[in-house]
Amino acid sequence: MRENGLPVLVIGGGPGGLEAARTVAALGTPVVLVERRHRLGGTPDAEHYAKLTHHFRDAEEALGELIAAVTSQPLVEVLTRSEVTACEGEVGNFRVAIRTPEGTQERTVGAIIVATGFQHFDPGRETQLYNYYSFPDVVTLSDMEAMLKAHQVVRPSNGQPPERVAFIQCVGSRDRQIGNEFCSKVCCGIASKQAIEIKQQLPNARVFIFYIDMRMYGYWENELYWPAQEQYKVNYVKGIVSEILPKGDRLLIRGEDTTMGRPMEITVDLVVLSVGMEPSSGTRQMARLLGIAQNKYGYIEAGGPSGLDPVATSRPGIFVVGAAARPADLDDTFATAGLAAARAVAVLRQAAVAAD
Amino acid sequence: MDPKLQKVAEVWERDTAIVEGVDISGPWNRMFGQRVIWDYTPDLIEEIAQLPGGESFAWCYQCGKCVPVCPVDVVGDYGPRKLYRRAQTGINLLDSPDLWLCTTCANCLRVCPKLVDMVQIMPAAREHAMLTGRAIPAELQEALENTAKYGNPLGQPARKREAWVKDAGVPVPILHQIQRPVEWLWWVECYPSYHPRGIDASIALARIFNALGLDFAILGREEKCAGDSQRLAGERGLFEMLAEENIRTLSKYEFQHIVVTDPHALNAFRKHYPKLGGQYDVWHYTTLLARELPKLQPLLTKSLPYRVTFHDPCYLGRHNGEYDAPRQLIQALPGVEFVEMLRCRENSYCCGGGGGGMWLDSFAAGHQRRRLSEERVLEAVSTGADTLVVCCPYEVSRFEDAAKSTGVEGRLRVRDIAELLAEAMGLIGEGAA
Repeated sequence: MRENGLPVLVIGGGPGGLEAARTVAALGTPVVLVERRHRLGGTPDAEHYAKLTHHFRDAEEALGELIAAVTSQPLVEVLTRSEVTACEGEVGNFRVAIRTPEGTQERTVGAIIVATGFQHFDPGRETQLYNYYSFPDVVTLSDMEAMLKAHQVVRPSNGQPPERVAFIQCVGSRDRQIGNEFCSKVCCGIASKQAIEIKQQLPNARVFIFYIDMRMYGYWENELYWPAQEQYKVNYVKGIVSEILPKGDRLLIRGEDTTMGRPMEITVDLVVLSVGMEPSSGTRQMARLLGIAQNKYGYIEAGGPSGLDPVATSRPGIFVVGAAARPADLDDTFATAGLAAARAVAVLRQAAVAAD
Repeated sequence: MDPKLQKVAEVWERDTAIVEGVDISGPWNRMFGQRVIWDYTPDLIEEIAQLPGGESFAWCYQCGKCVPVCPVDVVGDYGPRKLYRRAQTGINLLDSPDLWLCTTCANCLRVCPKLVDMVQIMPAAREHAMLTGRAIPAELQEALENTAKYGNPLGQPARKREAWVKDAGVPVPILHQIQRPVEWLWWVECYPSYHPRGIDASIALARIFNALGLDFAILGREEKCAGDSQRLAGERGLFEMLAEENIRTLSKYEFQHIVVTDPHALNAFRKHYPKLGGQYDVWHYTTLLARELPKLQPLLTKSLPYRVTFHDPCYLGRHNGEYDAPRQLIQALPGVEFVEMLRCRENSYCCGGGGGGMWLDSFAAGHQRRRLSEERVLEAVSTGADTLVVCCPYEVSRFEDAAKSTGVEGRLRVRDIAELLAEAMGLIGEGAA
C-alpha cells in the first residue's frame, strides 16, 4: 500500500504517545515522537507510579518494556527536551516547527497525534478545608504512589508508619464550584489499589475509604474493590469528608456517614486525597497551537461529527489520544492510541491516492 | 391504637420495665417499628425546584459534605442533604419544621460541589409556604408584623429610634435636623437603636467616630429596618416595601458613603437594594475602622488585660468576604491576647440569628438539643477566652443569653468590638470622660 512518504508526528511520550508511535511504526510508517521532558514515560514516570491497576504490574517495568519497543524501532525518531512551536498546512501535509536542544527544526508530516495527557488536580484549589498545604500528613494519590514505590509509607510529619489511613474520594472532581464537573474515572480504582498496597506493606494498618459513589468499572470490581474489602479488610464508608482538623499530632476527619445518617469524627494518622485529573498544561498549549477545539474543561474536544470517533479532533488529520481528551485509564489510553495510529496511517494512504 | 400510630409498622409496649430500680412501665418504653419507605417521588423536590431561587434544590447528589458543617445538624438532625432525601421519601419540606431551622449561614454552600444554594432556596420555599396558607411559627409572625407596622421587628415606636442619641455624650447629628451633606451616613439599624446592649455598642461607636473626627450623621426616626432577615425568612414583599421606603428616604439626603453597624444591612445594601434602584458605597464599621487604624492606633492608650476570641458573623464573613478587618482591630488593642476558635473565618459557626432565626428562638430550641448560640459560647469558653468579641448586633444579646443558660456567664463576657475599642480609648468604662 503506497503512502505519501511523510511521517506521523506524535506529540507526547507518555503511555498514549508511546503506544501510538509503536503502532504507527508497526504498520510500516515513519514516526517523529516529540517529548518535552528529558525522558520518555510521561506522568507515570514523572510522578513515580508504583504499580499499575492491571495485575499490579510494576509501573517502571511495564513502561520500560513499552519504551524499549518504541526506541528499538528504526522507523521511530525520538526527540526529547523538544516542543512543537508552530504548525500550518492541512491534512496530509502539515509543516511543523520543533524546538530541540540543538535548535529549531522544520518538518513536514502527514498526520498528527496529540498525546499530551493530564495533570493531577491541585488540592490547593479544593473548596473544603482539607489543608493539603498546611498539614504534612494530608497527601495526594500521587504522593502516596511515590511512597509505595519507595516502600516508605510514613507520616511525613514524623517519618513513622501510619496506624490509620483514610482516603477521601472525588477531590477536584464532580464539582461545579471548582469547575471540574466530570468524574475523573480512575481515582476509585487507584485508591482501592493503593489501599491494598498499603495493607501489603503495613499489614497492621487500618485503611478507610470515604466515598460518594464507588465507580469500579468492569474488572476493577472483582480485581480491586472486592479483594480490598474481602481480603485486605479495607473499610469502605459512604459519606464524604467535609473537613480535616488537627487533633494533637493526629488528624480528625469530620463528615457524615450518609447510609447511617449520622455524623462521624474519625481520628487518623494519614489522609490521602484522591485527586482527579485535569488537562495538562501541554494539552491546553498544544490545543491552542494546533487550532483544535477544547471543551469547557480544557480537554481537547473529541468525537468527530458522528460523536462516535473518540480520536477525531475538530481538524482533519489531527488525532487525540487518551487523557488529553478526557479522564482516561490506561485501557482507554491504549485503545485510543491504537485507533489514532490506524487513522493517521489511513490519512497518509488516502493522501497518496488523492495525489495520483 | 392511637390512629397516629397506625402509620408505623409496629408498636411495642412492655407490661413491666424496670431500669435501675425505677419502674418505667407504660408509654415510656414504647418502641416504634421503623416507618417503611413505600415510595420515592420527585414531586416534592420539584415543587421547591420550580420556584425562582429554588432550582438548585433538585441538584443534590447526596455526598453529605454539607451535613458536618451545618450548624443546625451539629445540635440536631438536619443538614441540606437530608432535606432532599426526606422530600424524596414523601416528607414535604413546606409542612416540616425543617423549613424554619435553616439560618442561611451559607457554610453548606461553601463546601457544596453541586452549588445547592440554601440561601436562595430557603426564602423561596418559605415564601411559597406563606403564600399557600401554611402556618408559620407564631414568634416569627409577630416579628414580621412588628416590622410591617413599626419598621422594626422589636415592635418599638419609630420616634424612639433616635432616643439613644441623648445618652451618647457626644454629638450624633441626625440628618433631618442638620440639613447638610455629610461624608458618612451611619445606618444604625434596629437592635443597635433599641436593644439596651445594642445601644451600648452604638454609644461606643458614636464616641469613636467623634474621636476620629468623622463627618457622619444618622437618619434617626426616618430609618427603617433594612429588612434582609425578613427577606430570608420568606417575606420578600415586606422586604421590598422596606427597601423602597428606605431608598426614598436616602434619596432626600446628600452623603458619600454608608457605614452600617449590622452585617445583615450590609448584605441588603450590597446585594439586594441595587436591584430596586438603591446604589450605595456601603462599608461595615469594622472595615471603616480598620482603614482608619493609623489614626485610631495612637488613641488606643489603655491596656486591656483580656484574653479574647472572635466570632465571625456569617453575613460579614462568608456572605461578604470580610474576615480581616475585625481581627486587625482586635490585634491593635493593647494588652489583649487573641485566640481563635477552631471554627473560625470561612468555617465559622453560626450564632443562630440569621435568616429569621433571630425570631425563631423558642421554635428552633424545640428541635435542637441546644441552641446554636449555646454551642458557640461553649466553644468560646473552651479556648480559655474570658471575652467573646462580636461585631453583629444580633450577637451580643444572643450570646449573653446563651452564656446564662449554659452557666458560663461569670466566665465569659460578650463585647462588641466597638466597646473594646472605646474602652481602650478611655471613652467608656472607668475614668471615661
